[in-house]
Amino acid sequence: MIEPDLTRLKDAPVPPPDSDAKRVALAAAMAAFEKGAAEAQGSAAPQRLSHASSPMEGKRKMRQTFYFDRALAASIIALMIGAPAAFMLSRNYSPGGGSISSLPIGRAAPPAEIALAPRVKAPAAISPAPTPSAPLAREERAKTAGALGGRADGVAAPPPRLAGSVRKDAAPPPPRSLQPAKPVAAIGAEGARPSPPVDTNVVPESEFRDRFESKETSPVKSAASEPISTFSIDVDAASYAFARRALNAGRLPPKDSVRVEEFVNYFPYDYPKPESAQTPFKPTIMVTPSPWSAGNRLVHVAIQGYALQSAERPRANLVFLIDVSGSMSPQDRLPLVKNALRMLVDELKPEDTIAVVTYASGSGVALEPTKIADKAKILAAIDALGAGGSTAGAQGIQDAYRLAESNFDRSAVNRVILATDGDFNVGVTDQSELKGLIERKREKGVFLSILGFGQGNYNDALMQALAQNGNGAAVYVDTLNEARKALVEEASSTLFPIAKDVKIQVEWNPARVSEYRLIGYETRALRREDFNNDKVDAGDVGSGHRVTAIYEITPAGSEKKLLDDLRYGKKTPTPAAAQAESELGFLKLRYKLPKEEASRLIEQPIAEQQSVESLARAPQDVRFSVAVAAFAQLLKGAPYLGEYGYDDVIALAQSAKGDDPFGYRAEFVNLARLAKSARP
Amino acid sequence: MAGEDTDGELARRAAAGDAAAFAVLAERHYDRVYALAWRWCGARAEAQDVAQDAMVKMATAMNAFRNDCAFTTWAYRIAYTTAIDHIRARRKIVALEPARMSALVDGPDGDTPEDEMMGQDLWRVVRALPDQQRDAVLLVYAQDLSHGEAAALMGCSEKTVSWHLHEARKRLKNQLEPAR
Repeated sequence: MIEPDLTRLKDAPVPPPDSDAKRVALAAAMAAFEKGAAEAQGSAAPQRLSHASSPMEGKRKMRQTFYFDRALAASIIALMIGAPAAFMLSRNYSPGGGSISSLPIGRAAPPAEIALAPRVKAPAAISPAPTPSAPLAREERAKTAGALGGRADGVAAPPPRLAGSVRKDAAPPPPRSLQPAKPVAAIGAEGARPSPPVDTNVVPESEFRDRFESKETSPVKSAASEPISTFSIDVDAASYAFARRALNAGRLPPKDSVRVEEFVNYFPYDYPKPESAQTPFKPTIMVTPSPWSAGNRLVHVAIQGYALQSAERPRANLVFLIDVSGSMSPQDRLPLVKNALRMLVDELKPEDTIAVVTYASGSGVALEPTKIADKAKILAAIDALGAGGSTAGAQGIQDAYRLAESNFDRSAVNRVILATDGDFNVGVTDQSELKGLIERKREKGVFLSILGFGQGNYNDALMQALAQNGNGAAVYVDTLNEARKALVEEASSTLFPIAKDVKIQVEWNPARVSEYRLIGYETRALRREDFNNDKVDAGDVGSGHRVTAIYEITPAGSEKKLLDDLRYGKKTPTPAAAQAESELGFLKLRYKLPKEEASRLIEQPIAEQQSVESLARAPQDVRFSVAVAAFAQLLKGAPYLGEYGYDDVIALAQSAKGDDPFGYRAEFVNLARLAKSARP
Repeated sequence: MAGEDTDGELARRAAAGDAAAFAVLAERHYDRVYALAWRWCGARAEAQDVAQDAMVKMATAMNAFRNDCAFTTWAYRIAYTTAIDHIRARRKIVALEPARMSALVDGPDGDTPEDEMMGQDLWRVVRALPDQQRDAVLLVYAQDLSHGEAAALMGCSEKTVSWHLHEARKRLKNQLEPAR
């Protein structure tokens, strides 16, 4: 055991501040001091210099002048250094330290001209950066900068908001910088440092401020060396809706935002149904030739969940936690949330309850848990929601959980549904704390779902992680149609789980399959041993939901394979019986019923009997889902599609549109067309 | 020369509106305020921001200084609260950085560039402690305050400070061990 030597902390060196930083800080402090003193004396700021009446008058005046000069000089230096440095920051992020420090630092120069020069030049030279979503710290900084500017105002008489306005325009685009925007003085100081600000941004597309976690595309694996593939199912569809929005705006979605499985699982498919809630899943397997790689085959695994009839549905205890911060005011955000809620109210049963908690700078309960039977009260509360309106106490998520728990019913579905555009600031700011809170509540039986709204601020990775920790789905809602799909059409699947911790494991038979790759599910991969470990959390499946997973396999003996055989590898150690010898693989599905802690198992071989000799002969839903998987891989830039392009996707999807009552498939074909001409 | 006056005398005059006295105080204490800020933030540019904010707050609050405690106590209370406010605000912003997203799944915040540059793993793990443990460690060990002084700043009892220190040591021991 090593006792940490904390006494080292006392004597550990502190890197010295920049001398400019100190000057600027002291100048700002003096400005604030004199402003405070002037206000305390009830006199107007500009008069404070002529206003000395203490016995110390002479000395004090002299010192004031001295510090006044010093303060002024610092302000001027800040402006001079700050403006050009900020200009460079906003253009290319690598201010050349040399050129800045070689600028004249004029202490003795006449104040007026110098102070005015940057004011005239700076705003013209600096192209306005996108306005950041006002983090808290900025207000304080603005104040500081204001104090600085105010000081200059009293003396050299440039317009009072000078420092503030330069700072605002010159601030670097916020998501690229690790630190919040700084007052002009601080930018100056930073610009003079030799090293450029650290850019931690991992999203390459400058147009998107939305945040996505990057994951490598699942690689090709050898069935001989790694015959087992394990993953958690995923019923989220946020990625597709997000891509739709980008494509409709004429842009390709950021590659990291594309999750193939979410594209595929967005669409309703009509797979064979299970018979009872006791065995709530029915897997259907189809093996077809791969359309993009001759010789390869696709193994299409479709799993249909049991659809609860209305009478079997448990009671719902729903708490909506709604972001009503200013950023939610556009038409596609809060108004859309309200419409979706109204539709949902029509869909629920009279004994279900709904509550609404809002959060912005603080949080407030907009609606205590209320039975759907009291519809008028609920609708009135929904109507009253307005962006910006909330009470104090930034405890949004805690309030929501508290309401859900106050109304907790073991036999009911207890769920908090968070509607936000991604400014996730609900009172718990520590990330691990937030994750822990959601997990603890999940264990108590209160689940979390997330509805994402709006574009520009959407925090995809956070939403995914939170929803996954909370046994819920993250859904991106961009249109009323999507809101209807998420909350009404699929209300039962989103809200009423039929099974939880659903995991899939496929074992490939190396005698028949040399290589395989799971298409998508990168963020859902599990370790082999996790499959039988009931402690390992996995995805939920709601009533009537279906999950599709597609593998691409290279048959044994094919010359197309990407991995070479192992020279010293064991010769396919398959102890299998003669019957198993002919199987391609074996599918296992583990799940828990919603109120149980022990998992159950469904097994099914993947056999040659389930194959068709051409994709055209596969069922329509299989063909369509393959087209969707191909489309998503194209958008993602996955390297496995060869020559297969958007036109092939369109042709395949067109042939498999079916009756498409809500137009989802027609919309898909349209998106594929848009993708052909979209710019990155 | 006013520069030789005691803090107490200067503070009394500054509270009465003497700008020169305040200027001397500010000049005299800036470095220590900055050092405190750096200990909490771990990055120079941030520490400079915090120090500037703290100096401005001090200036604004100077006329409310009643000499009922030492000026340094008063000043470092402001510096300390400014630093932890800053860290809280920063966390809200950092929480939205994509590079930090994985932290949500994997653990606490990562390094600041300066940490890596200076190889200061002790600072890093101390700053990654839960807020109150971190504050207790930094106040007592880095700022060299007594448990009682730290308790006054943190608004808790001396016992609580000792307990936070104990917990922090326990945690640090676990964290540092595999690293060595």
